[in-house]
Amino acid sequence: MTTLISNTEHQDQTVHRVLLGKKQILVTEDEPLLPQLERAGVLAEYQCREGYCSACMIKLLWGKVSYPVEPMAWVHSGYMLSCCAIVKSDIEISML
Amino acid sequence: MSYSTFNRKKFDSLQEPMFFGENVNVARYDQQKHPIFEKLIEKQLSFFWRPEEVDLSNDRKDFLKLEDHEQHIFLSNLKYQTLLDSVQGRSPNVALLPIVSLPELETWIETWSFSETIHSRSYTHIIRNIVNDPTKVFDDIVVNDEIAKRAISVSKYYDDLIELVSLYNTLGLGVHHVPERGEVVVSMKTLKKALYLTVASVNVLEAIRFYVSFACSFAFAERTLMEGNAKIIKLIARDEALHLNGTQHMLNLMMSGRDDPEMAEIAQECQQDVINIFVEAAQQEREWAQYLFKDGSMIGLNAQILGQYVEYITNIRMQAIGLEPQFATKNNPIPWINAWLVSDNVQVAPQEAEISSYLVGQIDNDLDGADFDDFDL
Repeated sequence: MTTLISNTEHQDQTVHRVLLGKKQILVTEDEPLLPQLERAGVLAEYQCREGYCSACMIKLLWGKVSYPVEPMAWVHSGYMLSCCAIVKSDIEISML
Repeated sequence: MSYSTFNRKKFDSLQEPMFFGENVNVARYDQQKHPIFEKLIEKQLSFFWRPEEVDLSNDRKDFLKLEDHEQHIFLSNLKYQTLLDSVQGRSPNVALLPIVSLPELETWIETWSFSETIHSRSYTHIIRNIVNDPTKVFDDIVVNDEIAKRAISVSKYYDDLIELVSLYNTLGLGVHHVPERGEVVVSMKTLKKALYLTVASVNVLEAIRFYVSFACSFAFAERTLMEGNAKIIKLIARDEALHLNGTQHMLNLMMSGRDDPEMAEIAQECQQDVINIFVEAAQQEREWAQYLFKDGSMIGLNAQILGQYVEYITNIRMQAIGLEPQFATKNNPIPWINAWLVSDNVQVAPQEAEISSYLVGQIDNDLDGADFDDFDL
């Protein structure tokens, strides 16, 4: 469930749940999904980390993500680029 | 219809398909039917680098210290890379420029192919630095049976397309009798089919075959050996990631029918052929891995692990163009490769041209004397 967490140092942070198999990871909208997956210990693919190589493409089973800058890679529906997508709701993903 | 270097017809290039429409006339980039190709050109130009920027003096010492079977792995891999870029440095130009119909795509093809010539120059730079007689290495590329097998499979689709397009440009559509070939059907359908299979085969070359070779190059560097070579391969890998974006876009645009509705039908009809191209290439790469490691493996990499990586990367590349993955390997058997492939740490000093975020010519000219008011000398 998406929740609002009050943090004394930073402004209010919206936190979303990312479901990956049996794992559940909490992420914010402050940065793209990839670095947050990595900090959670998930082995995720990457190369360019700026949206053109499509190495970080994963399946987006449900939920909403957005791209602050439109990525250069072709993103098929039902997929997302973890290196540059900001999670905008609770989502479920699966690796390719 | 014969090719014209400056088509005199007046037409709206925004209405043309990517290929087999009007020959391009005015090279204009202020408007694009497919802006992605303009973005790729800009990005590729910002990546410009030269192999001589990388010092290879330690690589020579490292190479001499390698065991015989390791030298075989390193040199064979380098020969294979040389073959792939020999093909890529010319073939997109020769095969695709006579049939392209969009100015931004035409220039992307030229920019793409030019960057491959930098890669070829890199292999010369590397070979010249690590062996006394480069000719021995280069000559073997043509006569070595294992390399020859790869040469046939990477050039076949290009050659078929080039032959068909040259018949089309000289004799036009129809059934033509070609000496030693018999009757050859030149129709829009056969031309577009040859094109579609060529782009798929090039995608396999750049998105799979190259990455298998990168894995070998980086496996040495993981052991702090041949690190200058790895630095060059890192720059090449950054370029190749852009190139595979280009062919993935061409294939996806063709499949979607957004560019040319007839191309979508052809993509549908050829789907199994494309799957076969991917699966056959994966099989060839696994066989290549057996050849590389025939006299012994190295720490961190052997024929089995490289074979699993082939399957893994093939699955990923197939999904990028909307195809079902064909292999069971779901996880990357060599996750350490990502740290070598990542483009951001190619060069950390911003004054160096190869950092991707560094832009040449970004000087603020809008200055006046008042901007220096708070300066004290």
